Amino acid sequence: MTVYARPLSPDVVTQTGNTMVLSMGPQHPSTHGVLQIVLEIDSENVVKADPEIGYLHTGIEKTAEGLFWTQAQTVIERMDYLAPSSNALCYALGVERLLGITDRIPPRAQTIRVLEMELTRIASHCVWLGTHGIDLGALSIFFYTFDLREDILDLQEANGGARMHPNYMRVGGLNGDLPDGYLHKLDELIEKFPGRMRELRGLLQANPIFQDRTIDVGVLSPEEAISWNVTGPSLRASGIAYDVRKAFPYSGYDTYDFHVPTRTEGDAYARFLVRLDEMEEAMRIVKQARQRLDTPGPVMIDDPKVALPPKETIALSMEALIHHFKLISEGFRVPPGDVYQSVESPRGELGYYIVSNGENRPYRIRTRPPSLYNLQALKGIAPGNLIADLVVMIGSLDPVFGEVDR
Amino acid sequence: MPSTQTPPIVGNAIDPPSLRPPIDDATIERVAPSELRVRLEELKRSGYAMLLDLGAVDYLVRKPRFDVVYHLLKLAPKQAGIADIGRPARLRLLCGVDENEHLPSVMDLWKSADWAEREVYDLFGIIFDGHVDLRRIQMPVDWEGHPLRKDYPMRGPARERAPRPAFANKTNVVAGAPPSGRTLQALQEQIKKARES
Repeated sequence: MTVYARPLSPDVVTQTGNTMVLSMGPQHPSTHGVLQIVLEIDSENVVKADPEIGYLHTGIEKTAEGLFWTQAQTVIERMDYLAPSSNALCYALGVERLLGITDRIPPRAQTIRVLEMELTRIASHCVWLGTHGIDLGALSIFFYTFDLREDILDLQEANGGARMHPNYMRVGGLNGDLPDGYLHKLDELIEKFPGRMRELRGLLQANPIFQDRTIDVGVLSPEEAISWNVTGPSLRASGIAYDVRKAFPYSGYDTYDFHVPTRTEGDAYARFLVRLDEMEEAMRIVKQARQRLDTPGPVMIDDPKVALPPKETIALSMEALIHHFKLISEGFRVPPGDVYQSVESPRGELGYYIVSNGENRPYRIRTRPPSLYNLQALKGIAPGNLIADLVVMIGSLDPVFGEVDR
Repeated sequence: MPSTQTPPIVGNAIDPPSLRPPIDDATIERVAPSELRVRLEELKRSGYAMLLDLGAVDYLVRKPRFDVVYHLLKLAPKQAGIADIGRPARLRLLCGVDENEHLPSVMDLWKSADWAEREVYDLFGIIFDGHVDLRRIQMPVDWEGHPLRKDYPMRGPARERAPRPAFANKTNVVAGAPPSGRTLQALQEQIKKARES
């Protein structure tokens, strides 16, 4: 039998001195999307890692400039596709501040927003945990996490109509009230959640192989983390308790009782523990939000210039018909100005710098993508480690490429 | 270069940040490009340890044309609990830049400025002096133009007519030109013309 030795093409591998330049990705199962890392390696050791991004660049910021304020939210939700509600909420909050209607958002809408945010955080961490396990060869945890995530996606589907991109948030409130039977399903989820978390922790937390692979890998010191602009669980695993929900509260987060889990080790295992603790804290917030949901109330601001009039009034009231027609055909206008609004997304501080020039379309929406800055820290922590550890580091930083490339 | 199918969006307010309603989201400062570097160094020393974000806006008809926006966060660069952090301060630094003006890079002050500056260069064409590796980051290396500029069109050229599928070349197609005159040859000529124009 003949063995065909096929040389790698020169742009993939080049030998220079003692080191070799190797391209990892963009089609690599452990890069969580389309990430290419140009590695300079000395045998198995990484000398320099240069992530190349942009393979998923879809021009969302440019597209949004040509859409109405309401329509732009649809594309913006596609940035972080694992936590779509956090994008939508951040954008809606920013536009509400420009409109000056922040104080008039109904309390029930705010509660449901918080509920959605925390459920989406759990769902997003589920995907992270499953794929992180797969990177390390722990295949079974993926099925447990996706089972839990599926329950949350069912809830998202119930109120938004779609599993992945519910588009449930609106400028001024929400698309609609919770459907019948939602709270019952939510209660079921709350009840079985502690057991699910025990399962997830049991599968990996004390696993010696998992600990060997993650402890002291990809250590990010607090000074480094701040210089690399790392936020979210990755920053808190380095010992800095910065959380937008506590620092710049929005949607009434200051009225909920929750902790911000932190660790001081700064390695991949610490990031793993912080995210698991965060899932439990998120469930605490969900429970508190659940208690406030028994009282009915409006979920959309009572302002015909922003909110669509109730469907049943359109046939009866001329004004309602006009407002409906105007909002659908040309949207609402936002007074000129600029605002920076941020929320704590599952990956860190997600911010939008929104500029309006008084038109019915956004003039410019600049995203502060947490994944982009978190991933950039890979340049700082990868050198001096093994290639196999690089996979752990990418997984523990949890980038989402819809957001990195936008 | 892409065609100009969609006209650029030029709004009614030329300088929105000067018209903003009072919103308590950050302290806002405006600096000239020549003072930018000194001011940022000063701010970093006074505790603004994190460069949260660096972006740009194109105001097209305004002079200077671009605003480069630095979002800073005051945060202790050492381990701190939630009580120590309290309510950190945010500061927004706006720096007006004209089309041929350069800005100093802040890559040596904050490591995170590396990719942020590359992105502003890629999408707006603003050059940062002192950046060690200023090349495109989101767009392909051979891309022409800077997409987030307001005079860059929203859409590309209309897609060329796709060539006829292979089965159309087979002999079981009835011979003779159809009334529309769209034979294979005519179609290929049309495609050639469209490509050349």
